[in-house]
Amino acid sequence: MSSASEVNNNKIDKSLNKANLIGPFIPFIQQLTRLLVLLFMVTTLLFFMLRLAGDPALVLAGNDASPEQLAAIRAQYGLDKPLLIQYFNYMLNLLQGDFGRSLASGEPAMGKVLTMLPATLLIAGLAMLISILIAIPLGAWLGFKPERPDRRAVSGIIFVFQGVPGFVTALIFIQVFAVNLRLLPSLGMEWGTIEYINLFSNLSIPIPIPSKTWILPSCSLAWFLMPSLTRVVAANTSEAMREDYIRTARAGGASGKSVLWRHALPNALLGAAALIGTQFAFLMGGAVITETIFAWPGIGWLLIESTQTLDFPVVQALAFCIAILVFIVNAITELSFQFLDPRLRSKGN
Amino acid sequence: MSNVKLPVFAGLVGDFGSKNFNWDKIRQVANPEIVVAFTLFAILTFIAVFGQFIQTHDPMQGDLLKRFTPPGSEGYFLGSDHLGRDLWSRMVDGLQWSMACAMTANLLNLFIGSTLGLLAAEKPGMLRIIINQLVYTLQSFPGLVILICVVVVVGQGFTTLVMTLGLLSWVVYMRVVYAEASSLFQREYVQAARLAGVSRWSIMFGHVLPGVRASLFVIFAFHFAGLLIAESALSFLGLGAPLGVPTWGNMLAESRQYMIRAPWMLIVPAGAIVTAVVTMNLVGDGIASLSRKKGRSIDV
Repeated sequence: MSSASEVNNNKIDKSLNKANLIGPFIPFIQQLTRLLVLLFMVTTLLFFMLRLAGDPALVLAGNDASPEQLAAIRAQYGLDKPLLIQYFNYMLNLLQGDFGRSLASGEPAMGKVLTMLPATLLIAGLAMLISILIAIPLGAWLGFKPERPDRRAVSGIIFVFQGVPGFVTALIFIQVFAVNLRLLPSLGMEWGTIEYINLFSNLSIPIPIPSKTWILPSCSLAWFLMPSLTRVVAANTSEAMREDYIRTARAGGASGKSVLWRHALPNALLGAAALIGTQFAFLMGGAVITETIFAWPGIGWLLIESTQTLDFPVVQALAFCIAILVFIVNAITELSFQFLDPRLRSKGN
Repeated sequence: MSNVKLPVFAGLVGDFGSKNFNWDKIRQVANPEIVVAFTLFAILTFIAVFGQFIQTHDPMQGDLLKRFTPPGSEGYFLGSDHLGRDLWSRMVDGLQWSMACAMTANLLNLFIGSTLGLLAAEKPGMLRIIINQLVYTLQSFPGLVILICVVVVVGQGFTTLVMTLGLLSWVVYMRVVYAEASSLFQREYVQAARLAGVSRWSIMFGHVLPGVRASLFVIFAFHFAGLLIAESALSFLGLGAPLGVPTWGNMLAESRQYMIRAPWMLIVPAGAIVTAVVTMNLVGDGIASLSRKKGRSIDV
């Protein structure tokens, strides 16, 4: 792969980049361009798709509205103009940061999405945390001596867990913990507020109140994320245990445990970090079904509700928001690799 | 997966129909995991194909006097639901629906994904940029979000569901084909074929695609499991199969109102989904461990 001429070329490229002030930012600019193209494509596609889906005026007015009422609503929302004009108007508003108003409630669409966002972030963070706390020790234990019968049995069980879809887990958790054992509540989430009063303003900042209702959604999501993470940690650990540097450390007199925790596991975690990033990006779309099942007021739940009522400004804002969130999470994952992986650090890009 | 150990696996699959099919070779590579995987798969396929003969009741016909019969009594060997319909027969119907749906969508995905992957890998240019941007777009959303948005528009039903799944979830194929084919296009035998005047499409599908075959089999199995989940998730949300059609997703959705009275209404379809998904994962693992060195099946 690295012939002499290629190495030379790389050197020339690097010196060029150093001379150029924009050089270091080129990957970033490329990514940003991609994101902008993506956002444009998505909003355009969604706009025409959702208009094909049905007449928003019918949704607004109800099925038994008279033609005059329908016409009035169409005029009010600008739905009587040709589709292309509507599209250009919509894009113009979008450029000014105006996503339109929700057809169902009349609130600003983006505002509605942003009020739902903290709940999704909360559940995603909690689930990820629980999953990591279980998966890393378990994976290290499994990968340390994968051929032992007890570990083989446990990895077999984890393999089966991996095949359980998230919504099945959620339903079974409700059945067991809420219906049969009556231990935990299965629905909803509460918000409290902190009043922040000073001379000039009177803000009330919403904060989630910790309660038992968090347990089931976050645990069932974690249950869904944990098996694949465990398997990756286990596979990477067992692979690292076969490396030469482990044998060297062993020969140098390091005990099995210290080899595992000091040498093998840090390497295994690098591979796991990529998966954690992917999983978190996936959760940014809202764990749609988990949120629906537990009536958790996050963006996944909002997605279901707004698509079913053809509330297209909200769907548009949601898609926009999810795309940007996924982008941010992926960017953070990539950046964190620069810190986690010494090999990337020394390259200096 | 770039240097997949082809010989063992290609020998297995390639000779399958011919006379010199070597059972000894199979015995060498078949570990218990693989045997279990393919046995389960055979059973599922059997039920899916001959479902009509092993159903004990009409899956749509209820008997209101026998609502909520627990499993194992009065001839309902997996119990009956809130309308007195036999859960076993409905589960078999659900299996047929899910398998048909996942299989068709998977074949569509395979076709679209590998074609686009090959086109993008062939040479740099506008086509590659466009395809990569398309992949980037599809990847920037969790799969289910896209599916939900589209299914709401196109409506319910088997054909629309299959088309939606088939046209939108081929990214995994494209990425693997693209990654592996990119290096294959640089190989001497492809260059030689080009010089010999073999047509572009024939190089792509005749010379390069066979080199990716082993990975495609593995993805086919894992992706099958993913599609089973996606299909039942959409049905569960009331977006996939029309109401009343006995699918696993619909059965789960129906069970939610009777959790206290009839937990088996939840357990039967949940168990079916888990069995099918685990089977397909096992099959994928098995194929992967056939196509590479033995004993490394954990890291797929």
